[in-house]
Parts: sequence; C-alpha cells; structure tokens
Amino acid sequence: MFRYILRRVLSAVPLLFGLLTITFFIIRLAPGDPVSLYVQGDVDPRYAENLRNALGLSDPLPVQYVKWLKGTLSGELGMSFSKHAEVTRILAQTLPNTLLLTFFALLFNFIIGIVLGIVTALKRGSAVDHTVNVTSLFVYSMPEFWLGLMLILGVSLHLGLLPASGMHSPMAKYMAMPSYVWDVAKHMVLPVFVLGVASAAATGRYMRGSLLEVINQDYIRTARAKGLSEVLVIGKHAMRNAIIPIITLLGLSLPFLLGGAVIVETVFSWPGMGKLTIDAVFARDYPLIIGCTLVSGVMVIVGNLLADVLYVLVDPRIRYE
Amino acid sequence: MSPRYLFVTLLCCGLLISCGKRAGEKDPMSETAVVALSGDADNLNPVVSNSSASQDIQGNVYPTMFDVSFNMREGKLEFEPSLVSSVEYSNNGKDVILRIRPDVYWEDGILVTPLDIKFSFELYGDPEVASPRRSYLESMMQTNGEFDVEKSIEILDDTTMVFHFQRRYPLQLFHLNLAPIPRHIYRNADRKTLRANPANERALGAGPFKLEEWVRQQNIILARNVNSNLPYPAKLERVIFRIISEPTTRLTELKKGTVDVMRPVYPEDVSDIQENNPDIKLVTLPPRNYEYIGWTNIDQVEYHKSGKKTVRPHPLFGDRRVRQALTYAIDRKGILEDQLGPYGELAVTDFSPVFRWAIQHDLIPFPYDPERARQLLRSAGWSDSNGDGILDKGGRDFAFTLHYNVGNKRREYAATVVQENLKQLGIKVDLQSVEPVVFYQKIEDKQYDAFIAGFSVGLAIDPADRWGDIDSPFNTVAFQNQRVTELLKLGLHVATERDASPFWKEMQQILHQEQPCTFMYWVKDIVGVNRRLKRTNINILGVTDHMWDWTIGDPKSAVTY
Repeated sequence: MFRYILRRVLSAVPLLFGLLTITFFIIRLAPGDPVSLYVQGDVDPRYAENLRNALGLSDPLPVQYVKWLKGTLSGELGMSFSKHAEVTRILAQTLPNTLLLTFFALLFNFIIGIVLGIVTALKRGSAVDHTVNVTSLFVYSMPEFWLGLMLILGVSLHLGLLPASGMHSPMAKYMAMPSYVWDVAKHMVLPVFVLGVASAAATGRYMRGSLLEVINQDYIRTARAKGLSEVLVIGKHAMRNAIIPIITLLGLSLPFLLGGAVIVETVFSWPGMGKLTIDAVFARDYPLIIGCTLVSGVMVIVGNLLADVLYVLVDPRIRYE
Repeated sequence: MSPRYLFVTLLCCGLLISCGKRAGEKDPMSETAVVALSGDADNLNPVVSNSSASQDIQGNVYPTMFDVSFNMREGKLEFEPSLVSSVEYSNNGKDVILRIRPDVYWEDGILVTPLDIKFSFELYGDPEVASPRRSYLESMMQTNGEFDVEKSIEILDDTTMVFHFQRRYPLQLFHLNLAPIPRHIYRNADRKTLRANPANERALGAGPFKLEEWVRQQNIILARNVNSNLPYPAKLERVIFRIISEPTTRLTELKKGTVDVMRPVYPEDVSDIQENNPDIKLVTLPPRNYEYIGWTNIDQVEYHKSGKKTVRPHPLFGDRRVRQALTYAIDRKGILEDQLGPYGELAVTDFSPVFRWAIQHDLIPFPYDPERARQLLRSAGWSDSNGDGILDKGGRDFAFTLHYNVGNKRREYAATVVQENLKQLGIKVDLQSVEPVVFYQKIEDKQYDAFIAGFSVGLAIDPADRWGDIDSPFNTVAFQNQRVTELLKLGLHVATERDASPFWKEMQQILHQEQPCTFMYWVKDIVGVNRRLKRTNINILGVTDHMWDWTIGDPKSAVTY
C-alpha cells in the first residue's frame, strides 16, 4: 500500500510539471499585459517600461521560461506582480482558508447527501422522496453566485442571523479561543452551505440510486430473513456496498469544489485560493497564477489519491500492490 | 446523563457564555470605524504602491510634507504646513527652501530628518525602483535625462533643505508632496525588488495612525499613534479597512451597520437607501472621472504598419466634421439621465468642472441634434449613394466596431444607445465587449477604431499626458494639434495657476471644436457613511482625507458582528 502511494506521488511530479509548463505558456500567450493595469490616471508612461524591466517581462519568452524553471526547481515561485510579495508566502497565508472552507463543504456535501440518499431510497415513491428529488434538482441547477447573494440579503441583511462576509470579525484576534471559533463558525455557515449544497444534492441522487440497487439484492433479503434489525441491515450490510460509488465522488468533488470556491469566495469575501486565483487572472499576475495552478493541481491529485486509498478501506476486494 | 453527554453539554454552555461580552470589559469596537474597500492594498510603501487602497492608508500613516486641501470655491489645491513648517522661494522661484520640523519622530522613536526626505526622493526618482510617481521629479535637476538627486536636493542643516527646479511652475508644491519613508529601514534595501521588500508590509510612519495589522485579502487595521504630532494622534482608537470585493455584499454590510464607510454606492441603490436606511448618509463627490467615446483620429493600421512613421487621417474619424457629427448624433443627455441621474453631468471637454479658475464657461455641451449631424456628414462627403441604407464615401461604408470592457453595465448600455442613434443616420455599428485587461492594452496600443472608455483626472491640471504626444498611452485616440502642443508648453511653464488660465481656456475651445473624442459625462462618485461616524471630511481628495479627526457620535452604537 505504502509503495503504491509513493508510486502515485512520484508519478504526479511530471504531471504537475507539465501542468505548470503549459500554464506558463498559455498565460503568456493570452492577450493582456500585466503592466497595462497600472498605466492609468496620472501615472508616468515611462513607468510601464521601467516596471516591465523590473518584473523581467522584457526578456524573450524562452529566457523567461528558463528563469522561471530555475526558480521553481529551487522552490521559489517568484514575486507576485499585483500583491508585491513572495508567491509562496501569499499561498501559505491563503491556502489554509480554502482548505477550511472546502473541508467543511465536503463534510456537508457527504453527510447531507448520504442522509438524503438513504431517506429517499428507503421511502422510495413516497411524498418525501418526490419532494427531496425535486428540491435536489432545483438546488443543483441554481447558480452559486445567485444563491449566495440571496442568502446574504435574506439571512444576513433582513434576518440578521449571520455575518454577510469575511472569515471572521475584524477584531477577532482580541477574542478568547472559544469565541474566536464561534465567530469563524458563524462566518462559515453561509459559504459552506452554498459551496456544499449543490454537491450534496448530487451526492444524494447517487446515494439513492446506489442504495436502491443494493437493497434489492439477495444478501440483504437474507439479512432481513435472519431477523436483523432494519438499522443493522441498512447501516452495516447495505451501506458497506452502497457507499463505494460515493467514494469515487470524493475524488471528483474536489475539483468541483475548488471551481465553486472561486465564486463563493468572491461573493462572501472569503480570503481563499478561489478569490486569489480570480484576482491573479484579472491582474495577469503570472507568478501568482502559476502558484494557484500548482496548489489546485496538488489538491486534485491528493483528492484522487485519497479516494483510491479509501477504496481499500471500504472494499475488501481491492488491493493495491 | 452519561459523563460523555455531560461533558459535551458543559462545553456548549461554555462556548455560548464566552460569546457574550464580559462585564466591565471595553468593547474593542466602541471607538472603531470600519471602511469597506473593494480591493486589497498592493503594498504600503508610498514609493512603489499603486493601489487606491494603499493611498487611503498611507496618507494617514506616513508623514506628509504638507497638509493638502482642495478649495472647492476656487478649484485649487492648498498647502498648509505639516512635516514642512515653512516654504520660501528664491532664484526666481526655481529654488524652494523647506524648513523641516525638528520634533517629528518615526514610530520607533527615531527622528525624521532631511536625510530621510532626500533618500526617499532618490528612490522615487530611481529608474530601477520604477516608482509610479517618478514623473513628479521631472522638473527638478536632471543628468542625461534622469533625475539627479545631488543636483536637485541640498541639505543645508538639520532642519533646512533646498529643492532645485529647472523652472518655476504651478505644481511645484504638489510635486514636493511625496511621502518620505524611513531611511534607517530601507537604506540597504535592494532597489530592483523594493516593491516586494517585507518592510512594506510593516509600514513604519509618523502620522496620526500606525499600522496594527494587515492580513492580506481580509483587513488592514490602523490604530491611533499616540506619539504622533502630525498633526496629533487620531481621535478614533482604530480604523479597520475590510476588503469586500463584491459590490452587493459591500452594500449589505453598509446597510447592516457592520461597515461605516463604503464607496461607490451606485445611483440605482440610492432611493432604496434613502427610504430604508435613515442611518446612512450619502455624500456625493465632485467629478474627477469622465467617460468618453474614443474615435481614433489617425489611420492606426497604417501607423502601426509603418513602424509609427506614417500619420494620416483615419478614413472614418479623421475629419473633424465627422467627429462633431457623431457627438451631435448621440443622445448623451438621455444616457446620462438613465444611468446616472443627478450623479453625473455632461462633459464639454476633459477639464474637470472642479477647476473653476481654468474652466471656459462660454462653452456649452453639444446638444442631441441628429439633423445637424446629417448636415455635417453630408458636408464631409458621406451619403448613401448605393441606397443600401448605410452611408458611404469613395466605395467605403460608414461601418465600424465599437468596443467596451465587459462587465461595465453603464458602458454596455451607452454602447447600445450609440448603436441605435447612429443607425438612424445610416451608420452601421457593431458592438464588441472585451475582457478588461485586453481592452485597456488594446486602447493603449491604439488598436481599435472606436471604443468607450473612462479617464480619471489628477488633482492639478496637467493635460500633457492626454494631448501632448501621439504615442502617450493616455492619448488613446491619437489626437494631435499644433496649437494644443504650444498651449501645453505655455500652460505648464508659467509661474502661477492664474497665469496658466488663458492657455487652458483656449485649449478647451480647441478640444470642443475638434472633438478628438465624444466627451460623454462626468461621474460623481457616491459614498455611503453611517451617521454614527462624525467629523468625516469626505471630499475630492478621498474618503480617508483627515481621517484622524473622525469620531464616533454615540459610543453605544459600536459595530457588532
């Protein structure tokens, strides 16, 4: 198992390298000059040229690539054009915020999704089943930015129940630890809900289908015939097999969640990777775009690896050698 | 109850209790104002910072040479003493002698001296540093076309320094008002990488506020600098700048009372705020930004093909009569009323109405007059000779693409009105929205025939960047006029603003006649301010001007989250 994980990790290195190289060239071939953003208002026109030299953008593309390659291999991702700081330092500040949001959104996604899937599978054809199905489709097709804004207006502005934006109150650093945790939790409710709810709807549908397939099989009938309680039949016997396709979803969910985080973080001013990526792209901040791509790539690879490892845990038929 | 449940219950109770304020404990928000920013600061070093957020912060943290205000009655900047205690002129105004206060200290207790100022100006002028404010030093002494700090700045003693200029001109004090940074912090800094210097994130100033914390993408917290004497410690304990990029979210925070100051409030939100949020005061700023439709005056394809050598009139817009006709043909007033209402005014030229002393008041905006537009187009030789409904001349149809930056709803609306207005005259307009970075690069490179863009004018009149040189990135329409070039030289080389006034007035007449672009309207930004905040002085200089005087009217009305 360990050798398998090691092999997967090592095989990810050239994959990431290829991803970054492609990103390096694509963003530079895309129209738009990082410097033109600064040449507005009463700014000295010569400033653009000076800045281009200072940022190393005057060099020919191959030279820029070699310089970038050297930096990357020595663990330096360069200096952000727009944030005027080391990319690694910006990522180190930002990544934990996205991990926090994504972790709870995943948790929300799977807990709610699995519960809904079980309920609708067991109550198949009932009013509950229909209601949940229709609601799931409705939620799944709702744009995240719209849902986010509606919740901000409804829950935050009109009902005053939760904060509208940010990750914590501005003076949170003066709070005692429990208050701080409570404060962050309150700020997290809406973004986690918006980020996780559509995936939860999808997970619920998968879970329902998977469970329905399993509970009609002979071994479940046997378990019931043995006189086992329904909780044991579903929880122990049916779920063990029905959950396997959901594990696949875990690996696939991460890229979707990261994509969704771009919008959710912007709407809720959550200081994470999504918002950082958007800002970097609009500013043509090449080093930061590459840094964000690297983080996204690693997260997707880790997500997939995690799914593969979980397979082994839930499915005794699978062994990686 | 099992011990496990008892533990969880106790933990929850503890969490809830700890959320409440403790008796006798001062609420950290009671003397704190919150300002919403749409974007984060790039850095907090005034030599290299370029974001508007940085400007908002720096003016209250770093020492300022002068305390600047804008006299709205006269339309002029005024300079009062700050770090500089007095100003004298000699050598026909070419030498400016500044007396520096001997009692101003950086936050770390080190004296602010003329050495700090000279060092900072050296950085502002160093090409390696690439400061966006480098042009401020262009009129000081130069060597081989570059700012020469030794020739320009002379330190006479611990409190006296002389700045040598090539000539006397109206903007001398404006250009001297660059914030100094502490020499002892930056003395050994690598200049090429100055914008990434870690010290930029720990801004060390001498102003009424000091930087308490900066968490990127989240907030910047300024705290009262109790030792400041420039002019005195801030009255508020803290001001928190929160970064909220989404406009609806920002507005929601203002309405909730969790943000005290926010800009811009959009005109379409004004009536809702006025009806439902009596605790929010709306402040309208005088106009500094205008929108225009750029008609490229020269044949830009030929110009680029010839390596910027061949300058010939644009086949459509090269004729002044055509540009005038286009302005007559567009219902600018209609667009203005639909989009901005009272928060805008028709533009005559790009001289902001705030500069009262320089405005040519006789000029009136071109009215919406399609008939006059038709006459002008006819006189310029455009007619529908083949009866296809589109004007043509010499076998070329009057058809072009109008570009604007995607996501700008006002420009999108204006573009559709322009398309419709010009269709009535037989001009075919295709609309094309473009991603903003690409859009700005293309107009800077003069790649489009026509586009809708905007421009923000400085606090002092300096039209050279727009109309001085055909290659200037701000002369987006490639306008050139010999008399305008002469007037620029005359206006910028006189001793006082009063002397420049006739030149600027003549220039406005020429711009009005030539219509290098269709000047659409000036936009007046709206700022939302919670009424609990008192003594704000939100004006053309910015939202945070004189922020050290802000107070909270009712301490009980602290922002709560």
